[in-house]
Amino acid sequence: MTANNTSNISFTVNGEKFNNVNVPSRQHLADYLRSQGFTGTHLGCEQGACGACTIEMDGKAVRSCLVLASQANGSDLKTVEGFDDQMMEQVKQSFLKHNAFQCGFCSPGMLMTTKEILLSKKKLTRDEIRSEISGNYCRCTGYQSIVDAIEECINEIN
Amino acid sequence: MDDIKVNQNPKLGSIDRPNSYIGRSIPRQNAKKHLDGGGQFVDDLVLPRMVHVAFLRSPFAHAEIKSIDVKSAKQSDGVIDVFTAKEIDEVCKPWIGVLGHLGEMRSPEQSPLAKNIARWQGEPVAVVVANSRAQAEDALELIEVDWLEKDAQVDMETALDPNAVIIHPELGNNLFWTRTVNQGDVDKAFKEADAVVETTLDFARHTGVTLESRGIVADWNKAENKMTIYHNGQAPHMMQHIIAKHLDLNEGLVRIISRDVGGSFGIKVHVYPDEMAVTAISKKLGRPVKFIADRLESFTTDIHARCHKISGKLGVDKNGKILAMEIDDLSGIGPFSMYPRTSAIETNQVLNLSGAPYVIPNYKAVGTVVFQNKTPMCQYRAVGHPIAVAITEALIDKAAYKIEMDLDKIRKINFIPDNSYPNKSPSGVPLEDLSHQASMDKLLEIMDIKEIETKKKDDYEKGILSGYGVISMCEVTNPSPLFYGVGGAHISSQDGASIRLEGSGAIHLSSSITEQGQGTEAIMKQIAADQLGVKLESVRVTLGDTDATPYGGGTWASRGAGIGGEAVLKAARKLKDNILNIAAAIMQTDKDSLDIEDNNVIRKNGGEGISLQKLAETVYYRGHEIPKGTNPELLATASFLIEGIPFVFTNSAMGCQVSIDQDTGIIKINKFWAVEDCGTQINPKLVEEQIRGGVIQGIGGALFEECVYDDQGNMQNATMADYLVPMAYEMPDIIVDHVTTNSGRSIIGAKGAGEAGTGGAPAVIMNAINNALKQVGAEVISQPITPEKVLKALGKI
Amino acid sequence: MKAADFSYHEATNIQDAINIKAKDEEAVILAGGQSLLPALNMRLSSPSCLIDISKISGLDDIKIDGDYLFIGALATHSHVMKNELVLKRMPCLIDILKMVAHPAIRNKGTHGGSIAYGDPAAELPALAVATNAEIIVSGQNGDRSIHAKDFYLGLFETAINQDEIVIGIKYPLLKQEQAILFEEVCRRHGDYAMAGLIANVNKIGNKVNDLSLVYFATGDKPDSADKTAKLYLENGYDYSNLKNSLNSEIDFAGDLNSSSEMKLHLATILIKKVLNKLEA
Repeated sequence: MTANNTSNISFTVNGEKFNNVNVPSRQHLADYLRSQGFTGTHLGCEQGACGACTIEMDGKAVRSCLVLASQANGSDLKTVEGFDDQMMEQVKQSFLKHNAFQCGFCSPGMLMTTKEILLSKKKLTRDEIRSEISGNYCRCTGYQSIVDAIEECINEIN
Repeated sequence: MDDIKVNQNPKLGSIDRPNSYIGRSIPRQNAKKHLDGGGQFVDDLVLPRMVHVAFLRSPFAHAEIKSIDVKSAKQSDGVIDVFTAKEIDEVCKPWIGVLGHLGEMRSPEQSPLAKNIARWQGEPVAVVVANSRAQAEDALELIEVDWLEKDAQVDMETALDPNAVIIHPELGNNLFWTRTVNQGDVDKAFKEADAVVETTLDFARHTGVTLESRGIVADWNKAENKMTIYHNGQAPHMMQHIIAKHLDLNEGLVRIISRDVGGSFGIKVHVYPDEMAVTAISKKLGRPVKFIADRLESFTTDIHARCHKISGKLGVDKNGKILAMEIDDLSGIGPFSMYPRTSAIETNQVLNLSGAPYVIPNYKAVGTVVFQNKTPMCQYRAVGHPIAVAITEALIDKAAYKIEMDLDKIRKINFIPDNSYPNKSPSGVPLEDLSHQASMDKLLEIMDIKEIETKKKDDYEKGILSGYGVISMCEVTNPSPLFYGVGGAHISSQDGASIRLEGSGAIHLSSSITEQGQGTEAIMKQIAADQLGVKLESVRVTLGDTDATPYGGGTWASRGAGIGGEAVLKAARKLKDNILNIAAAIMQTDKDSLDIEDNNVIRKNGGEGISLQKLAETVYYRGHEIPKGTNPELLATASFLIEGIPFVFTNSAMGCQVSIDQDTGIIKINKFWAVEDCGTQINPKLVEEQIRGGVIQGIGGALFEECVYDDQGNMQNATMADYLVPMAYEMPDIIVDHVTTNSGRSIIGAKGAGEAGTGGAPAVIMNAINNALKQVGAEVISQPITPEKVLKALGKI
Repeated sequence: MKAADFSYHEATNIQDAINIKAKDEEAVILAGGQSLLPALNMRLSSPSCLIDISKISGLDDIKIDGDYLFIGALATHSHVMKNELVLKRMPCLIDILKMVAHPAIRNKGTHGGSIAYGDPAAELPALAVATNAEIIVSGQNGDRSIHAKDFYLGLFETAINQDEIVIGIKYPLLKQEQAILFEEVCRRHGDYAMAGLIANVNKIGNKVNDLSLVYFATGDKPDSADKTAKLYLENGYDYSNLKNSLNSEIDFAGDLNSSSEMKLHLATILIKKVLNKLEA
């Protein structure tokens, strides 16, 4: 077996610059981020079905298991560790209040999905919230508390 | 602070006092880390010189391993070594998953890696150790195995046939365990009954699908002869014992650390061969070894659950009084009984729990558990409950329809009366402190069945089939030593708590209970602060570390609050007693005139007190100022176990309303109600969320989840896209309410609340669907109730 | 579950991508990667090289091109859903895309990727066939246009040549009397359907004048049901007749969530469901 292929790329994570780093070509972005200590990005399935690894890439929510690290060349990435603005702090307080998570494994992805909902400025109904988060698996809560939290955020933030 | 007040337990003191935290829905501040990306899960851990493994797993359900050639794999980039059963067995002794107290169980020895024969698709056969998981997977492709595929015994229903494939020839047949319960004389009673109804229900295999997969890092330190295991399990002390025993280590030098765990639901309380192999590899290599199951491995190697076919018969008189119930349950558990809890318990619970809310004078139950070439089956959330509750409640609905009695009425006249406890279940299991009557009354109050009936008629006129169901159930919680310990398993039924006042005035609590997201850490903190009289934020908690917590069982079988919580309560009271004794000595007063409020020892009659910080400083740094002979211990430890009965039962009543699209067979759950009596609720919001999450898992089993196998024993849907877990869009909001009957077994009075939802939802959903289908003479009897099964029942396909 | 090793090439322009693909039979085009990455991660596919075309500029245009609405191959589903031209000229596409997976997948998944991948359970290939779309591919010999109905040959098999790359899709602009109707039946929201139907309807008022039916998630490629459409035009909705016709016309292939029998039933029911939308 030959040595692994690598790609040389530059990007930012939560504003921190990563310049000319070598990443294994085959490595997906979630694995790369985790290898750099951004372990808030979780892996649940590595096929895009569970939503746990959802992060922000150039302002949009993406599954970081379905993006190669190489593809992040030139991108601005934001992981849960970087969700520290006023809006996201309010979202977190709402999640805490409603107990919108139990084990916390789905939370980073769920927060990213919530962030995208809030940034869209849409007034969603409970059913529409359920539709928007239907790509994020949570085994613990049964979703109702998550819908409660997001509904509250929509009402208070938007 | 959210001020939800629940029926207060008088043994806990008034809720209207400072630092009264028990019974309040306080958000889990300790869990905020998860929202900041700061959880510490096993896969987040990186240790120096850590290596990764990937397992070669049997692609066949049943095959002989004629030879394995690992030469090329060993040459692959980044590979450190490749092991097969021979090398792992040198370090790790095999195990047998049997218990001694439930009659004869027969299961063969199981080793970490399959030797000679692989018996399920996914069984580990060889393991590559490499610098990265990707490199380990590269090398897997280079291992050459000469397989001889054998016929597989896939179907449990033919497992005992004369021409069945015998999975373990030394056992002679595929029978693992059987049990019969016989109370009264069912045959005579059925003859006397005015109406007898029968049904047979099928429950597919499903599995836990914890979002965080199983994971372990084993770190053998040769210099200290110490094995440190980072493990996302539920029972650290059990794992400590087992790893020491099978790797021949000094048990005291095995340390299990379970930090954050991404959901468990019973899946992570068992001993898995791949995890044992990882500990053995660390011992061999003397360096840290990490294994994180990928999702394919989760589906084919995490324990599966259910897989039952049960027939039932119920006889009632013309007034609806139940005279007799008989069930016959068959379950398939894969090729091995899991270790150390065994794979008999689900069936045992079916036998124990069927009919449990009702007076049934004549009861007969037969359970048969067989081997098959599928993934091993074992205890998952609500062990056996979905089967027991579904068969009982389906039969009761059938009887009600037959004698034309209302669905709630037939239940009410058969409940074991709330004022008759202690009592016994039809199977003979002791029951205490239950409230089926009050809970059903509460359910009917919040459901409004009249309105639902009206809507059902209106819907029918419009061509929509809608229906509803109501059920009652018992939930096994807070097990005593009579559950596992009596059978020879080293699984502690006792839990401990240790609590101390530190020099800074802070309170530190450690408990043998573990956290997997339920909120155990939060409720332990609430109990400690409440009982001590300190602010919540002054208590910090350590869980999940065999070197740092008291010995105990861990979190499973809904035992955290009832057993672990009581230990915390007792320890906190002891510490408070110590503190007040010291304070009385310092303050030259009578201890009974003192109390603790908001981190201060106060004089009940007013006057100057002393802060806990000051008191601690005095004790620790200026001990000479304390009167001689005063006990200076600012540390207290207590343990608790349930004595005399096998379990503390919780009870629950549930209702739901569904509608069915007759064209597509798609079922919509419009409303779901749950009334739970779990005694004292330490944090009502967390209790409600346990119930909701549990109900959704029950809906998963009822409508979506199934491990689909082909005839050769290959799992067909071992991906998250193909195995249908409940997602947000299809799930209903769930209305939760309570009745409170405190457990008399403890001061705290808490019973468990983790499993009723999962145990009851499949029954009430099936009953509601059949209530709807009955209008057109159709019925479904097999879970998951898929659109296709509904359309078949409707005669559409 | 880690991908096998491959080299990664970020294509700077389409010719660059075509040249690599022409040379290396095992090279694979990476656009949005939302179907490719799962296959790589699970080692169901181990290409020698990934040619990332996602950074090539100008391939995500959405514009009117004569009598067609042109959607560039790299337009993501989210981008298409928010596009004003699409909203005005082909609003059905927005409704259809709402059913494609989930928001984060739609942020990355591309129109051209879905068309080129040709998943028989996917909505867009069926839409392309139902609307008589043209699929524009670019190769060593320049560009060519392939009729959607000639594009899909079998299970994940398309008329695209080794050196070719899909660069865009041209949907004929809808005429006033024309409607594209869509319905699918899924176990869960966002899942692949058990069966789905796209109907291209020519109507006068609410009366159906002409009709074509194209199914997805029924067989090995988008399944046109011309005879059944004709039967409907002649006799209206008659469940048994239409079901018999569909059974003779389409080779229904069962999957994990629905047997072929189930798919046949749903396919029949879908005609009613879809055409009910005309009245709505």
